[in-house]
Amino acid sequence: MLSIRNLHASVGDKEILKGINIDVHPGEVHAIMGPNGAGKSTLSAVLAGRESYKVTEGEVLFEGRNLLEMSPEERSWAGIFLGFQYPIEVPGVSNVNFMKAALAEHRAHKGLEPLGSAAFLKLMREKMALVEMDASFSSRGVNVGFSGGEKKRNEIFQMAMLEPKLAILDETDSGLDVDALRIVGNGVTKLKNPGSATIVITHYQRLLDYIVPDVIHILYKGRIVKTAGRELALEIERNGYEGLAE
Amino acid sequence: MNSGITIINGRTQITGSGDSVRIDLPAGESLDLCLMQEPGGKDFEINLSEGAELGMTLICIGCPEAVNRMRINLNGPHSRVSLNGLYLLRGEARLENHIVLSHNCPECRSSQLFKGILEDKATAVFDALIKVVPGAQKTEAFQRNDNLLLSPQARVHSEPQLEIYADDVKCSHGATNGVLNEDELFYMRSRGISLAQARILQQLSFVGEVIEAIPSEQIRQEILSILEQYLRRQ
Ligand SMILES: Nc1ncnc2c1ncn2[C@@H]1O[C@H](COP(=O)(O)OP(=O)(O)OP(=O)(O)O)[C@@H](O)[C@H]1O
Ligand SMILES: [Mg+2]
Repeated sequence: MLSIRNLHASVGDKEILKGINIDVHPGEVHAIMGPNGAGKSTLSAVLAGRESYKVTEGEVLFEGRNLLEMSPEERSWAGIFLGFQYPIEVPGVSNVNFMKAALAEHRAHKGLEPLGSAAFLKLMREKMALVEMDASFSSRGVNVGFSGGEKKRNEIFQMAMLEPKLAILDETDSGLDVDALRIVGNGVTKLKNPGSATIVITHYQRLLDYIVPDVIHILYKGRIVKTAGRELALEIERNGYEGLAE
Repeated sequence: MNSGITIINGRTQITGSGDSVRIDLPAGESLDLCLMQEPGGKDFEINLSEGAELGMTLICIGCPEAVNRMRINLNGPHSRVSLNGLYLLRGEARLENHIVLSHNCPECRSSQLFKGILEDKATAVFDALIKVVPGAQKTEAFQRNDNLLLSPQARVHSEPQLEIYADDVKCSHGATNGVLNEDELFYMRSRGISLAQARILQQLSFVGEVIEAIPSEQIRQEILSILEQYLRRQ
């Protein structure tokens, strides 16, 4: 589904990703762990199409298409979703109008008419219930004044609305209290289907109790230095990243 | 009757002829107006007596060339003015608003909020003076001009000015020039909102404050639909 080959990326003349290789197949859950500043968010931003990161080498194929040639919106239509580590506030655009615009474009690209008002609102309510978000959030500006945890839930709500094939969740667990962690973790799991895949970026084992990974990659100074099964997360929790770099 | 002016609330006569408009608001009267900008522009002279209230919004969506001159006098205590403006200019359009708003007696309130979006080589002038005469204590005056510049050749000359001769007053003024927010655009695009639509949403949000302040649902809807049509041609 997703094939990252020898991916190098820089900001300005600073190289951040130094040859990443990852293959994700339908149905799989991959976790990416690694110390602060390793390049995890950079990788997710490059996959989502953030233009401030320049890809200098390598390629990324998504379902056989050259992802790096696609605009951010084309990637979204193709089924990629990035849950932001720091969700952006969009003042003046309400959650409901934001999702209406997003969903309408997704549907248009599938040759579908926009949902009628009643059907749309029903879908919103259903998906908000999945992450136990209060209906009052619909009319508020996107993420404006949301608490850290509310922003993360809103990310998963958006994911639920868009039903991506590949979700990349960048530290969706940070800032969540234990209940929210369970809600978000279970929410993501409910959204999974055999054709979809998830990349979870996290620092902690606890999210992986809910979203159980098939493989864990350690990203260290711009490179994947180790790939192993889920036992690796426990090892890191005990011993940190010391000794993994070699 | 002056063309381009819609009376939303109030029964005060608007006098003057052609491009000059005169409004004398008697004591206690209130008037809400919306003005759709026409080429050329208008001269306004507006006088408010005690306790009178004026709400006025100037809308200019894609007008080629216009100069407005406004003299607003708060002549009676407790009178209030809320003067807002919205302008969207592209091509070689040029809009000038020259405003002199005088607080001629104590305990009056005025606020001015002008927001503009400029593209191409468009130019906007916001030249607005608030005068507070000696003795006009307890004046509250607020003035702001915010612009979004979508092209490096677009120009804004923004000069909010204060001339205050009383000491017990609350006045604030300011101007900002900004560009579209890249983080917000990327966030919207990452959800499948196309760049063109994301830009429209951000511009609608920018001008929202001015439109929401218009006290007529029907006019708000009319303006929004003209605005959306205009923005879709970007
Ligand atoms: N726009 C930028 N300009 C300059 N440096 C940047 C930029 N974006 C990222 N970097 C640098 O690239 C490195 C990787 O950053 P990144 O955000 O990808 O790390 P991360 O692995 O997600 O870390 P964390 O666990 O703290 O979220 C850091 O040293 C960071 O300072
Ligand atoms: Mg990060």
